[in-house]
Amino acid sequence: MERMSRTKVNGNKGQMRIIEVILASFIIVFALSFANMFASAPTSSTYEGTELEKLGYNALHDLDDQGLLPRFIYNEEWENLTSALRVLLPLDVYFNATVYDLNGNVLNNAPMSYGDPAIFASFKNIASVTYGLVGYSTRFNSPYYEATYIPRVLTLQLVRGS
Amino acid sequence: MRKLARNKKGQFVILAVLLMAIMIISLGALMNRAVTYYKHEPWEEYLTLIGNIELSSSRLVELSLTNYTNAQTPDENILRNNLDQWQVNLTRIYPGRGVSLNFSDYPMTRDWNKTSSLSNATASFTIDIASIGLTGYKFTATAFLNLTILSQTDYELNVTVKVEDGKPLTNLGKDNFLVRNSSMGFTVMNVTGYYDQREALVYTIQCSQTITAPITVSVWDPRGIQVMAKYP
Repeated sequence: MERMSRTKVNGNKGQMRIIEVILASFIIVFALSFANMFASAPTSSTYEGTELEKLGYNALHDLDDQGLLPRFIYNEEWENLTSALRVLLPLDVYFNATVYDLNGNVLNNAPMSYGDPAIFASFKNIASVTYGLVGYSTRFNSPYYEATYIPRVLTLQLVRGS
Repeated sequence: MRKLARNKKGQFVILAVLLMAIMIISLGALMNRAVTYYKHEPWEEYLTLIGNIELSSSRLVELSLTNYTNAQTPDENILRNNLDQWQVNLTRIYPGRGVSLNFSDYPMTRDWNKTSSLSNATASFTIDIASIGLTGYKFTATAFLNLTILSQTDYELNVTVKVEDGKPLTNLGKDNFLVRNSSMGFTVMNVTGYYDQREALVYTIQCSQTITAPITVSVWDPRGIQVMAKYP
């Protein structure tokens, strides 16, 4: 009988520990959710525009660094430029690229875009990257080259699709 | 009261609450660091703009040197004229940003017809962007190509081709070279490269006919810049 009573007391102590653990867990969860209210994730809409601009600029800079961007633009290889941008940008990023001369005339006769065109009209957070190019050198009478200064402006609009 | 003081059951709860308090403070500090790390910095947007202007200005120097080295009658002022136009056009490409580009150029060099010849163009730039209060961002753009004829045999020539900072230029083929002497041009059959401890990369130009000195070798790099070297 005495042994039974002692076991019961020990059992009550265990239950108290369980309640303490549950309370402690609640405190931890509360602390985490409270702190998380002040943390701003990098993918939040606040930074979306800047992130997309960086993404777009890096893609164009990489292409320019490899000498591909001037080739695509000055040789009017619009399909190749679209394909290159599709490879370089993430799948969920939609884009619309346009090439202008210095007078603002559109030079690409074929659309260079990926994704639903309606999304650019409806979306509020559209990132825009402007990239300037100076010219291109071509082999006109092999092995001689000719380089011409003809500035071009590439505008790249970016939106993250759902 | 004495009984209450002897009661040790409550100590575990106090300890647990203290530990929780330490954890919350630690998490708070961690989260604060996370927020600060991803803090939006407006100047970051302009790094892309500066990067674009820097790369395009370098391209313009290369473009000018390409024209200068390929022209029959080279225009000494081509770099300055192109830079003048670029300076004006920049404000049209980036309207409303207050971009101002100042430059100082140096005379372009066509130091040719030597065993070691070179083509060179250099310009120094300063960018100001009024919209973010940036002034005096300086950089220098250089376009350089060097061709050195090391040796000659009956059918072969060994040459080195180097670009900026003395780096060897790779992936050159027979379309990049032209070999001739005062009376005729030689057909370049093949160009192969091999590693050399001193020069890093040496090209061997194989010609179809016996090479009779003195010879002139021209090379064009992928940017179109030309250099002409003479041997011996």
